[in-house]
Amino acid sequence: MTTPAIALENVSLTLDSKAGPVDILHDLSLQIETGETVGIVGPSGSGKSSLLMLMGALERATSGSIKAFGQDYGSLDEDHLARFRRDKMGIVFQSFHLIPTMTALENVSIPLELAGKEGAFAAARAALEQVGLGKRVDHYPSQLSGGEQQRVALARATVSGPAILLADEPTGNLDGATGASIIELLFGLQGDTDATLVLVTHDEALAARCSRVVRMSDGRIESDIREAAA
Amino acid sequence: MMLAWRLARRELRGSLGSFRVFLACLAIGVASIAAVGSITGAITAGLQGNGRALLGGDVELRLTHRFAEPEERAWLEDEAASLSEVITFRGMIGAPSGERALAQVKAVDGVYPLVGAVTLQDGTLDAALAEQGGTFGGVAEKALLDRLGLSIGDDLRLGTKTIALRGVIASEPDRQTGGIDLGPRLMVSTDALEGSGLLQEGSLYRTRYRLTLAEGDTAEAFQERLDEALPDAGWRWRDLSDPSPGTTRVVERIGTFLILVGLAALAVGGVGVSAATRGYLERKTETIGTLKALGASGGLTVAVYLIQIMLLTAIGIAIGLVIGAGVPLLLGPTLSEALPVPADFGVYPGALAEAAAYGAMTALLFALWPLAMARETPAAVLFRDVVEKGRRMPRPTYLIALLALFAALVGAAIFFSGDIRIGGFFIAGLVVALVAFALMAQVVRWIARRLSQNAALVRGRPALRLALANIGGPGSETTGVMLSLGLGLTLLSTIGQIDSNLRGLIAGDIADEAPAFFFLDIPAPQRDDFVAVAEADSAIEKIDTAPMLRGRITGINGEDADPEKISPEARWMLRGDRGLTYSATPPEGTTLTEGEWWPEDYTGEPLMSFIEEEGRQMGLKVGDTITINVLGRDLTARIANFREVEWRRMGINFTMVTNPAALQAAPHSHIATVYAGAGEEGRLTRLFAQDFPSAVAIPVREVIERTRDLIGQLADAVRGASLATILSGLIVLIGVTAAAQRRHLFEAAVLKTLGAERGTLMRAAVLRYLLLGSAAALLAVAIGAAAAWAVTTKVFEAEYVFALPSALLVGGLGVVATLVTCGYFARRMVAVMPARMLRSRE
Repeated sequence: MTTPAIALENVSLTLDSKAGPVDILHDLSLQIETGETVGIVGPSGSGKSSLLMLMGALERATSGSIKAFGQDYGSLDEDHLARFRRDKMGIVFQSFHLIPTMTALENVSIPLELAGKEGAFAAARAALEQVGLGKRVDHYPSQLSGGEQQRVALARATVSGPAILLADEPTGNLDGATGASIIELLFGLQGDTDATLVLVTHDEALAARCSRVVRMSDGRIESDIREAAA
Repeated sequence: MMLAWRLARRELRGSLGSFRVFLACLAIGVASIAAVGSITGAITAGLQGNGRALLGGDVELRLTHRFAEPEERAWLEDEAASLSEVITFRGMIGAPSGERALAQVKAVDGVYPLVGAVTLQDGTLDAALAEQGGTFGGVAEKALLDRLGLSIGDDLRLGTKTIALRGVIASEPDRQTGGIDLGPRLMVSTDALEGSGLLQEGSLYRTRYRLTLAEGDTAEAFQERLDEALPDAGWRWRDLSDPSPGTTRVVERIGTFLILVGLAALAVGGVGVSAATRGYLERKTETIGTLKALGASGGLTVAVYLIQIMLLTAIGIAIGLVIGAGVPLLLGPTLSEALPVPADFGVYPGALAEAAAYGAMTALLFALWPLAMARETPAAVLFRDVVEKGRRMPRPTYLIALLALFAALVGAAIFFSGDIRIGGFFIAGLVVALVAFALMAQVVRWIARRLSQNAALVRGRPALRLALANIGGPGSETTGVMLSLGLGLTLLSTIGQIDSNLRGLIAGDIADEAPAFFFLDIPAPQRDDFVAVAEADSAIEKIDTAPMLRGRITGINGEDADPEKISPEARWMLRGDRGLTYSATPPEGTTLTEGEWWPEDYTGEPLMSFIEEEGRQMGLKVGDTITINVLGRDLTARIANFREVEWRRMGINFTMVTNPAALQAAPHSHIATVYAGAGEEGRLTRLFAQDFPSAVAIPVREVIERTRDLIGQLADAVRGASLATILSGLIVLIGVTAAAQRRHLFEAAVLKTLGAERGTLMRAAVLRYLLLGSAAALLAVAIGAAAAWAVTTKVFEAEYVFALPSALLVGGLGVVATLVTCGYFARRMVAVMPARMLRSRE
């Protein structure tokens, strides 16, 4: 039996707020196999983005264990987690989250530079060409449209060939046509690299393109249907 | 307008907290100007309030080289209610041990002082100065006792007379300070000088006639009568309108300069005001859009925010005034003791008004641009994030208002400083420095952008890449950091470079070339003997002598010499007595620049050689006539030539030289410069004292030492005033960094998401601020060096030497300031939790 790409066991997440602690996720267990494409759907506030944050080691669970390729996040300090993300993951956000002081090329090359890899700029340029932005490498985010920014974010998330691709509402801030082209790119890139894809969305049709759909409600998994697209 | 006021009030409610930097910047600048103004005001008022005591009466009339003629004295006695005669001169005091020291001797008559009282540590003045057993007494400042190892009861030598030291002066109401004192005070009675050989014709002494006026008489009326009755006496007049002109001038000059330094703090504060206003208005973009969507005009929008800025400005100014007026009041008792002049600490509305005016103009000047740009915010911002504003520049009305405000600020600086050059140059310097730092920021950004894309440089150095991208990228705080730190560091650097060069010049070139002594009051008949003694001493390398007279310029081309009619830099020429000499040949080292020297045996119409620089400043040309009052008589001479003089060689040189026949007949003494190695001063003082008791020896090296100390003290005072600029800069820096903080936190969160470790982020932040601090310091050092170069080479005509320690200090301060200020923010950045930060941005 192969090691799952991501394994969550009895994971809970409680965040502090001014009104007191808020329970976001309740005793949640989920296993995602290597190469799977998983759509996570649910209404606003159901905890799907928080679940993605936990998978991306951007947030620590209040209780339970989270592992990626057998590596328990709980045993790693912040810097080890950062290195783990750098080497294994690519993350795409709804609001793109490009660094405004860096050009498209610099934004894409950053993960490679942080990893100390040779030829970071050349690889970043190739990644931008792959998403159709070969001519806009020197533009700053403020000089790009929303769709273009998300393409840069896609290129950044995939440039180092991550084993896990996490996407949080990647079309949430885009119009229909632009969103569709981004999704095509996302699945295309995933297909090229065979990465495990976890896609948070509230677009049922989009989720249906995944091999598995996890439905969430009120911080719990409501349903988990494999081969939905089949 | 009422609507604008209502809206402004609602808007401002609860927003005060976001204006901390705005208020602090304004308050510091205003406080420093108000404090300097209040202290200057206190001293000026102190001088005025103690005017009669300082002046020693209602009026003082001073003569040089001579006593009032009997008829002059009789006239004064008739016209004044009371009259006192005081004589002052420099004299050599001999101790029983044989040691000799220079003292400022003051001989007083029986009625001295007409106003106030001299207090001694023990006993009364009259008893101390009286003749007892054939010996007159004297009282001295403690410094003289310390210098010569004297105790009460010791016999002193003064000229050929013996004086018994009977007391130590505790306070002397009419002791004038200002400049460098050449020795402590020794006070004796005028009768004690009888037969001392000190007050011969031609020796350098001053007689001061202090008068109190009869009831109903005024100084103006008295002066009119005096001018009419004794028009050619050559009195130097002083009255209660300015009892201590020298001190007042020094205090006002230093005060003016320090206020201008305070203006630099305000200019840096202006950068903070501008940044805070811009930040506030950016946060209010939606509100402005909403107001416009609801029908508010552009004018109303500007009015709403202008009212808020004005209210905040008023609060900032009020805080500054309270601090600026309060601190001197609180420190008054301590300062009064430390100051060598009387000071009357209180609230000086004029000084506070000046500070408030500067504060208001600076705040509006710096806030108007962002305000004018806010007017261009369209209602469409409510619908789309990115909206092109129609204009990149404010409308012409606002540009005109900006120019008018700037002109008003320049006008105020010139008006308050009372000098178009000082005020104008300082403002020009501020503007040039601000523009230089803004340009430098763009250059730094451009370089950083280029370097960040240089693969060979940044490969394997992600922290450097991040730092460079941050400095060069859009929205970077580079300009803010450079402007906030720049002016303060530039001030420090300029002061450091000038101070170091001047002190170096004095300690080096001047001290090396300077003579060991100036001898004054060598009686004319003893001049040849004096030279013979000097030439016989093997330690003396060289001796130069020249006849010396003092006179006051009273006329130019037959008209009264009016200081108002000549350029300000030359007015000192008309202010007091000037030394003059005569010579058959051009003095050594003279270069004639125009005209001819007179023949050696010339005896015709009196001719004069004038120093070119001062002559030109006074508007003189060859052929003009100068009238000088020497010993109560007017001498009119025609200018035959101009010449150049290198003053800093400290040889004998005079502004005015006449042909011998013009002055030879007037009673006069000689001065001499004696060149000898260091360490010979004590022996040579004793050597000349034996044969020439009236000759006064001024040890030049000691004076140089004191001058160097004085420059150091002045530099320290300016450095102190610069602290306000540095402090203001730090607050602006904190404001700029805090404004950029949210962006940096976000970037750190994204970078962590992409795999950046905390160490990489910390290194990137440190590098960023290290580079910015260094760039600001580098430019500050460059500007400081350029200013010091100009001062050293153009004003002092000396070689400029780059002062490395000062540069290192400025560089270190720049780097430390940025690192410490930003360290706090960097720590927060490193600790940021990516999920929370990114979630809040979704």
